[in-house]
Amino acid sequence: MAAAPSTAAPIKLPGGVSPLRAGQGHSFLWRRLHSLTGIVPVGLFLIEHFFSNAYATKGPGAYTKQVAFLSSFPFVVTLELLGIWLPILYHSLYGFYIWYRGDSNIRDYPWAGNWMYAAQRWTGAIAFFYMGWHTWHLRFSGVHILTYPAAAFGKVQLEFHSPAAVAFYAVGIFCASWHFAYGLWLFAAKWGITQGPVSRRRWGYVCILIALVFMAVGAVTMHSFMTTPQQPVEPAASELDSFTMR
Amino acid sequence: MPEKPVLFKIRRQASPAQKAYWEEFELAWHAGMNVISSLMEIARNPLTRDGKATTPITYDSNCLEEVCGSCAMLINGKARMACSALVAKLEQPIRLEALSKFPIIRDLSVDRSVLFENLKRVKAWVPIDGTYDLGAGPRLTMEDQEQAYPLSRCISCCCCMEVCPQFNRQTGFVGAATISQVRLFNTHPTGAALKRQRLQALMGDGGIQECGYAQNCVEVCPKDIPLTRSISEVGGAVMKQAIGDLLRR
Repeated sequence: MAAAPSTAAPIKLPGGVSPLRAGQGHSFLWRRLHSLTGIVPVGLFLIEHFFSNAYATKGPGAYTKQVAFLSSFPFVVTLELLGIWLPILYHSLYGFYIWYRGDSNIRDYPWAGNWMYAAQRWTGAIAFFYMGWHTWHLRFSGVHILTYPAAAFGKVQLEFHSPAAVAFYAVGIFCASWHFAYGLWLFAAKWGITQGPVSRRRWGYVCILIALVFMAVGAVTMHSFMTTPQQPVEPAASELDSFTMR
Repeated sequence: MPEKPVLFKIRRQASPAQKAYWEEFELAWHAGMNVISSLMEIARNPLTRDGKATTPITYDSNCLEEVCGSCAMLINGKARMACSALVAKLEQPIRLEALSKFPIIRDLSVDRSVLFENLKRVKAWVPIDGTYDLGAGPRLTMEDQEQAYPLSRCISCCCCMEVCPQFNRQTGFVGAATISQVRLFNTHPTGAALKRQRLQALMGDGGIQECGYAQNCVEVCPKDIPLTRSISEVGGAVMKQAIGDLLRR
């Protein structure tokens, strides 16, 4: 059914927003993919990551075992690449693109949802730069912990040697938890899962709880790393350790 | 009550291409005055605060009771209907500006035809034209009527678009009003004939995916339309259709 062309040509004035481009482009796919990757696999990885690191609360031995378990996966680098790095990179870069195209206006309209809109962008950006630092330090430089799992605990401990670094980790964990929890809320609202205001509010309470659980687990884990005596990080010694551990 | 005179600062622009400038006006206070009645007073005696003769201010208005949607403008920086903006409740000086995301025609009058274009693109109508009398349509259930009525109250003022951080020239986002009208016409038993086409249209660039769920739309809407519910419901329907189309292909 072809729409009849309107006879009167609309007056073209500069500075207007263009109307909907029905049937054009692929932004729907990319934007929804961005939304989905935040939950699967990035969100799932975040759950796994907080859970695995919480083994630190059971001491260096248990932590080493968990790192060794994760490192023992077949195709582990491929899994990391397709399940973690590429999805996070896509979610982050497309996220910056979304931020760039939006015009935050909390000064004129300081409403709760509008603040959360802005906060979702800031927490995402901070979490991104935090993750860059975090993965560079622990995954891509220094002792290779996939090869020497016993060095992992000590290597993480070294991260907390200055108060500034501790603060940076705390901020990173806070932002990642916030961004994920509100992301879950947004996902439910945008994909039509929570359609009414009551269900959105209730799901909001659940998401607050999720954020608090993540932040608490992160804090307890950090506390364990910081209160345990420094563990060895030399590959040779750790290798020996890991043998004795087994 | 011996009230002080009312001070207005109005951002004026003689034509789309000309530069904008501010003019100040002072009016004697009287009970019940609103922004539109003030603009009418200025038109009757177009003198600036320092007594210089000027042109009357151009603005859109019609019903003066918040049902036509014409007089939306920025009042003290916020989008709202001028006819229901009571001077007694506003901070002074009262700043009046044209909506910022629509091309200015003159002074406070803007071109909001983008909404009309968007409504056409999602086929926001009930298709009843035929070559013969189609007879009476199916009945609308009471439940559907109750859902549809609040949506039908949209006055096309474009406030929801003005306050939306995603409605701008980079995204070309369609805005909450149009998405809500999709829900209205998809709820209608005869209107539902175009349901697939409407949802399809919202998958195009500038479609429903651009919503960032800042929820300013539902806060600002002068008619209290449940716009976020519409976005969630239509968002779900669009997603269902997108996945269905992918599998049926």
